[in-house]
Amino acid sequence: MFDFDGTLPLMMIQFLLLVAVLNAVFFRPLTQAMDERDGFIRTNNTDARERLAKAKQLTLQYEQELAGTRKQSQQVIAEAQTVAQKIAQDQITEVRQQVQAEVMQAQAQLESEKQSAFGELQKQVDTLSRQILDKLLGATLAS
Amino acid sequence: MHHSSLLLDSQNWFNTLPLASLEVGQHLFWQIGGLKVHGQVLITSWVVIGLLVLVSVLATRNVERVPSGLQNLMEYALEFVRDLTKNQIGEKEYRPWVPFVGTLFLFIFISNWSGALFPWKLISLPEGELAAPTNDINTTVALALCTSLAYFYAGFRKKGLGYFRKYIEPTPVLLPIAILEDFTKPLSLSFRLFGNILADELVVAVLVLLVPLIVPLPVMLLGLFTSGIQALVFATLAGAYIHEALEGHGDEEEAH
Amino acid sequence: MDPLVAAASVLAAALGIGISTVGPALAQGNAAGKAVEGIARQPEAEGKIRGTLLLCLAFMESLTIYGLVIALVLLFANPFA
Repeated sequence: MFDFDGTLPLMMIQFLLLVAVLNAVFFRPLTQAMDERDGFIRTNNTDARERLAKAKQLTLQYEQELAGTRKQSQQVIAEAQTVAQKIAQDQITEVRQQVQAEVMQAQAQLESEKQSAFGELQKQVDTLSRQILDKLLGATLAS
Repeated sequence: MHHSSLLLDSQNWFNTLPLASLEVGQHLFWQIGGLKVHGQVLITSWVVIGLLVLVSVLATRNVERVPSGLQNLMEYALEFVRDLTKNQIGEKEYRPWVPFVGTLFLFIFISNWSGALFPWKLISLPEGELAAPTNDINTTVALALCTSLAYFYAGFRKKGLGYFRKYIEPTPVLLPIAILEDFTKPLSLSFRLFGNILADELVVAVLVLLVPLIVPLPVMLLGLFTSGIQALVFATLAGAYIHEALEGHGDEEEAH
Repeated sequence: MDPLVAAASVLAAALGIGISTVGPALAQGNAAGKAVEGIARQPEAEGKIRGTLLLCLAFMESLTIYGLVIALVLLFANPFA
């Protein structure tokens, strides 16, 4: 049973040869293939992750842009509203001023007409009073 | 050395049964140069080696990114031995040792199972009988010596002559034990494998001798299980010894 | 073979395998019991515990196998025959 002989060294040599052969035809190519696959999966994974991050970033950007645009439009509307209000105000004031001016003018005209009427009236009063006076006092004077 | 057939050899009533017979220590001797070799061990080991190489070549003939069939199987085997080596030697240094430990595992595993699954008995030899190659002490000692060489090589390549420091590292008092360990390692490795496989085959043979049908089947299944575990143990211990040589004396206890 | 040597060898083989079974049997029982305890405490670690247990059992089993090898040597390759 314990008979060592030439089988031992032969077996060692043939085992070491087997290690070399299997290393060449089995371990190295398959390890390489598995590493390559791992690398492939890893790159794909990182790629996909990058793309996802990019998509997220784009969404964020769009959202920001959308918010900006919305704000801008609101601003534009507000601006337009203020402008319109201002224009309306201006026109109102202008019209009011005009009306006031017209009123003033009319008043002034009335005043002047009144003045002139008063003046004429005064004059008439004067002449009339003179005439009355003359009439009244004329006799007296004449007498 | 004396060889005898099993159990009350000559005037044995078992021999009147034509169903099975049992032989231990019978060899088909070949003469190569001045050396006598056990022919039946070499034949079966060639079959095992041929099977391994053939399957490997077929599996890696056109490597695909999505594995299928044989490539899938061999990738599973590779991953298994890679994990085994990584667990023993550690993440950092396991890669160059995967082929050695992996071949050790695959060769022993296929050898053990071939002894139980391959119908060797259909081929009759002039003397001796074909069985698992690991059932011969020469094979297991050869594998154990290869393991010893491997861990010496690992230690030398890593630390040069500083490798010998591990013999006197905690105290020089333990020097004889440390030296003895280098002898007991291959001894226990080879005897464990040899004893397990031989015992398994003997138990199955004796049972077949007593009850030829059905009854030996559970024992055969147990034998298959033990054979697989022994291949795993051999490879694990080889990895542990290499790790120990690479790491130095400090964490030797953990490696066992 | 000298009948005395043959008788002594057979007796030694039988005793040897019997005695060499005792220690590992106790150890294996101990280990298996501890492993079951561990699984009961942490059922999720069952796979790992089972793997380690099988490995340890194989180591203990090999002690018996050494005894068996000695017994086989005495029976089939007796150096004193």
